[in-house]
Amino acid sequence: MASLGELERAVMDRLWAADGPVAATTLRDGLADRGLALTTVHTVLTRLEQKGFVEHDEGRPRRFRARASQEQHAAELMHEVLGQAGDRQAVLARFVGSVGPEEARLLRELLASSDG
Amino acid sequence: MLTATAAGLAGLAFALAWPVPVLLARARWPARDPVVALLCWQAVGLAGGLSLIGALLVHGLAPWGPSLPEAGWAVLSAGPAGGPVRGDHWVALTLAGVLAVELVGVLAHSWVRTARTRRRHRELLELVVRPAAAVPDARLLDHPAPVAFCIPGARPLLVLSSGMVAELDEAQLAAVVAHERAHLREHHHLYLLPFVAWEAALPVLPATTRAHTAVRTLVEMRADDLALADPALAGTGGPHPRRTLAEAIVAAAEGAGGVPGGALALGAGAVAARVHRLLDPPPPLPAAVRTAVLVVAALLLLLPTALLLLPAGL
Repeated sequence: MASLGELERAVMDRLWAADGPVAATTLRDGLADRGLALTTVHTVLTRLEQKGFVEHDEGRPRRFRARASQEQHAAELMHEVLGQAGDRQAVLARFVGSVGPEEARLLRELLASSDG
Repeated sequence: MLTATAAGLAGLAFALAWPVPVLLARARWPARDPVVALLCWQAVGLAGGLSLIGALLVHGLAPWGPSLPEAGWAVLSAGPAGGPVRGDHWVALTLAGVLAVELVGVLAHSWVRTARTRRRHRELLELVVRPAAAVPDARLLDHPAPVAFCIPGARPLLVLSSGMVAELDEAQLAAVVAHERAHLREHHHLYLLPFVAWEAALPVLPATTRAHTAVRTLVEMRADDLALADPALAGTGGPHPRRTLAEAIVAAAEGAGGVPGGALALGAGAVAARVHRLLDPPPPLPAAVRTAVLVVAALLLLLPTALLLLPAGL
């Protein structure tokens, strides 16, 4: 039994790979090896729409497409991770914050001076 | 006039709002024992809040009795005020109420907001990451900047960027993962939450920012210590795990530099302190000093509690 998260990922991969908007029936056929019911596909699409990852047109039948590419989502996430707001450490624990070029040089010197 | 109890609490509140955090933030010993230092900061934050709100409350209720139990009992049993109720009593009572509500409100608000942001991050991550081949329970995010982070919570998530994997060798990567796992294992985000709330509630007080920064740094040092003790690192960390971890920190810190919106100034000093500490480890605190500091921290909490709960006559 595939988890909803994994199905969402599979549907998104289909939408990203598609040239244009895709109908739910096409998605179901594309995922035929999983033996999904059309209602399951609709459930997944609704969840993805609520999360803001997918939008649909007003055609009949409705056709769905990804709102942003995978790269854009990754970039958005990295922007939030790197642009640390004051309380970001409470949201996620980042290994180390960024430092400027001058501090980076000092750190390198520190490493080199204790070589051995 | 202030009653003796209110004066004692006010004095304590002042000490904990200014000289104590300044001294604790400047002290060198916290780097030698981050756990004890973290306990001290928690005691300072909690005792500071208790004495600040307590002083206002005791002064506001002074006409009903010289201490909180006596005055509280008189108010609850609808007894008459023993002295004239002046404007400053009402002001103190109002301030106590506003401050208490604000602190609890800010704490609840930052709890809800961080939970919402974490959920959003997790949703985004589920779309863009794939399992990392090199590390079993970590996810890989395609991005050139060397970044590693974990999202705490019921379903914690450990994420490495492809840049991080490319930049570091196997031993350094193991050190990074051990560090992040340590954050998750000890729930370090919960240590930070009260200080996020303090800073948001009283931004005019420099001590709140100082405390938040110090606690953030100490939590990182604690995770470094735990990473060094991690058996996974002992296996792959090379002959000098301390140096391996220091190299990983430097590589990650400089690799992600120059990113717009990054809080550079805040990070730099703390990063250097971590690297210093790894390369040239300070001696651990002697057991006697450690015990003494813990006793002082406990007394710090007991003092305002006793002033609030014991009748003035004792």
